[in-house]
Amino acid sequence: MTRADRVLMAIVLCSLPLLYLHFWTPGAADYSDSAGGVTQGADAGTATVLRIQSAGTAANTTPLAPDRQIQVPGPMGESTIEIRAGQARFLESPCPGKVCVHSGWLSEAGQLAACLPNRISIQLLGSRPRFDAINF
Amino acid sequence: MQIQTTAEDQRIAWLAALAITIHILESAFPSPLPGVKPGLANVITIVVLMEFGWRSAAWVSLLRVLCGSLLLGTFLTPTFLLSLSGAVCSIGILWLACRLPGRGFGPVGFSLLAALAHMTGQFTIAWLLFIPHPALWRLFPVLLTAALLFGTVSGIIAGGISNRQQQCTT
Repeated sequence: MTRADRVLMAIVLCSLPLLYLHFWTPGAADYSDSAGGVTQGADAGTATVLRIQSAGTAANTTPLAPDRQIQVPGPMGESTIEIRAGQARFLESPCPGKVCVHSGWLSEAGQLAACLPNRISIQLLGSRPRFDAINF
Repeated sequence: MQIQTTAEDQRIAWLAALAITIHILESAFPSPLPGVKPGLANVITIVVLMEFGWRSAAWVSLLRVLCGSLLLGTFLTPTFLLSLSGAVCSIGILWLACRLPGRGFGPVGFSLLAALAHMTGQFTIAWLLFIPHPALWRLFPVLLTAALLFGTVSGIIAGGISNRQQQCTT
């Protein structure tokens, strides 16, 4: 080995632990939901915003803070989304099956409810969703 | 039509054939992690670099990626793209390393640089094109450790094959 080899080897051996330290320290990198572009603070795991997606329009994120009802227009009419105590649900929808309404309250980050006939979906977002998807 | 070949062309073809053979033999071994493999074909690249200079090494490396992928059936697949980006990166870093003044690097240094550049290049492409998730970077130190290990081993093997103690030429 030449001197350059030894210097290179030393540099690599010294910088590898730094790489581990950088990428493996919790919180060193930001693993938030990139699609929603949401960054949250300490209370990871709990949802903080609601993303409302209506057909043909850009996704709309809204905080879960004040309790309220939101009217979302769709092809069949207006669906009503209710936000209460950090949870969200479809309160009413003009669709025939009411699958969205029967989905009930969404309380954890990552949970999703959709009204396919009215082409509206809502999803809770947080910094650390407990799951990517759930099959029933 | 007769294509005129020089002695250098034929030498490159021979060496590339050798590298392709090792490449294909190696692909028969299962890999513990995607992206991790010994990369023994790079021994040939380093030996060629030491003996015949950077230009020949670049030819041998790129021919190996191209023909290896054609023979394995991965041509123009993601695997090929990763392999190619890694090869281009390592050839690039070897070009720079050859220009180091003084006695410069030996086979171990060249091999180590090439392995690290190969891994970094293909990892970046994988992240940009195929899995653009920030959590992928957690794998990066692990893969670089593997590159360090295998790069050093390849370098030692290359050093054993090419005993000439000389500055690499371009």
